[in-house]
Amino acid sequence: MAAGKKLTKEEELLLQDFSRNVTTKSSALFYGNAFIVSAIPIWLYWRIHQMDLFQSAVVFGVMTLVCTWLIAFAYKNVKFVLKHKVALQREDAVSREVMKKLSDADSKKMSRKEKDERILWKKNEVADYEATTFSIFYNNALFLFLVIVASFFILRSLNPTVNYVLSVGLAGGLLALFSTGSQ
Amino acid sequence: MASWMKMIALFSLVLLFFCSSNAQSCVGPTVEATSFTSTDANLAMETTFLVEFTLTCKNAAKDLVLHADIGDRQFPVSRSADGIHYQVSWTEEHKEAPAGSYDIRFFDDEGFSALRKAQRSDQDVSAVSSLFTITVHHRGVSQGPWVSSPTVAAISAFAVWLFAYRAKRQIQD
Amino acid sequence: MLLTRSLPGQAFPHEMRILTAVAIFGLVCLAGSADDNVARLLAAKHVQNQYLVEGRDLTVTYSIYNVGTSAALSVQLTDEGFPESDFKVKHGMPTVNWARIAPGTNVTHSIVLTPLKSGKFNFTAAELSYVPSEGTQPQIGYTSGPGEGGIMPERDYDRKFSPHILDWAAFAVMTLPSIGIPLMLWYSSNRKYRISSKAKKH
Repeated sequence: MAAGKKLTKEEELLLQDFSRNVTTKSSALFYGNAFIVSAIPIWLYWRIHQMDLFQSAVVFGVMTLVCTWLIAFAYKNVKFVLKHKVALQREDAVSREVMKKLSDADSKKMSRKEKDERILWKKNEVADYEATTFSIFYNNALFLFLVIVASFFILRSLNPTVNYVLSVGLAGGLLALFSTGSQ
Repeated sequence: MASWMKMIALFSLVLLFFCSSNAQSCVGPTVEATSFTSTDANLAMETTFLVEFTLTCKNAAKDLVLHADIGDRQFPVSRSADGIHYQVSWTEEHKEAPAGSYDIRFFDDEGFSALRKAQRSDQDVSAVSSLFTITVHHRGVSQGPWVSSPTVAAISAFAVWLFAYRAKRQIQD
Repeated sequence: MLLTRSLPGQAFPHEMRILTAVAIFGLVCLAGSADDNVARLLAAKHVQNQYLVEGRDLTVTYSIYNVGTSAALSVQLTDEGFPESDFKVKHGMPTVNWARIAPGTNVTHSIVLTPLKSGKFNFTAAELSYVPSEGTQPQIGYTSGPGEGGIMPERDYDRKFSPHILDWAAFAVMTLPSIGIPLMLWYSSNRKYRISSKAKKH
């Protein structure tokens, strides 16, 4: 259950504004992680399904890029959904921390509005950080699980190349789909 | 009448001579054996025991008629054309062939009939002395791993995701 | 024909004895032809493998049963159905003989081969020659033929059956950073701010 009080309309708008613009740093983080996770299944296909690395290099390359895009998309969506909720939860804790950090002298100088702005900014930063890291963690776990199940159980009897394309493609696709669905 | 009987006696003697020269016995046997037992249950439906050996006798006897005894069964020993190489092989259900040492006792015709006699009259069969014994060490048949690795991987991946999912629900509530 | 009188002490006269001998001989002949007193061998050739894999053991078992009434002599088994180019004999001898197979008994013989090529292979029957009874000509028979089998390439068999434990372990190690690092980062931030809010409640 949400522990914090309801955000005012102004605060809500501010929060949404912040999250719509995905910073370059954030983007780089997402694409980087997505690329690493998309490339990991290649190991399984090379060693266990006995696919030749050089012969299948094109397929591996193409599917890795496709998956990178799909997973980054899923990261963004899940982060966006979670950031709002995390912000609500962190309200009290963040405000207390910010207040603690301000020395007494600064505390008297600053207006109420400025203090609130600082709290909002800090809250946003924390929510952003937590939502980003959690989104990466959650989507990576789900992607790897889907790939293992698809590759070794559902599509086991197919030709390795077809198996790779479908497993990795489906896993990425489902990830993107689920990320849009959750509220 | 007498000459007729003499002829029969002579004939039997000659026959006996020929018979006995074929039913040779091995004196001072030297055995060199290699053995094979099935190790992969996937490849073999029953466990196969196979022993090949060369037998050299001090009296240079070749192409002998040998019998093998593995305790509950006896069979004739297969011979190769050169008269020195021999082979014994049998199959057993995987369940009935645990890992361990199996002794094969080898008998010539005389020894074998003594063995059968002992068996029929319920006497101690181990008292009958064999020509020689070969021991086969069976490593046992492996059925493959109990749980396949993809299953373990899938279960671990599921556990990790489940943990993540619950954390997500916690955040969203 | 005058029947000679039987001498005192003799149960049958001379002619009677000859007639009985002839009669008995005749009966024996008849009985003999019904039973034949020959050996009859039935042989089966059986491939023990569930999977035929290139480069792995292939076990062939021959079972010879003597269903006749007398011992089979000079039994020779010859199997030429495994050409040198396609198979390597690992253990056992494809050509063997037995001096004597008693009636009502059976003999098994096995060989272990290693297929050198993958693809379809027709397992043909082996030849069996034996002397059915003393003094007769050797008889030629054949074992049963297992028929056609497919030998799978080693790569496919490995893919299906090898446990690949090391590969999976390496995979687990590779996924650790992708999952572990985000988790740790999120969790440390989560803890920090949750403790703060919990402390506040008290």
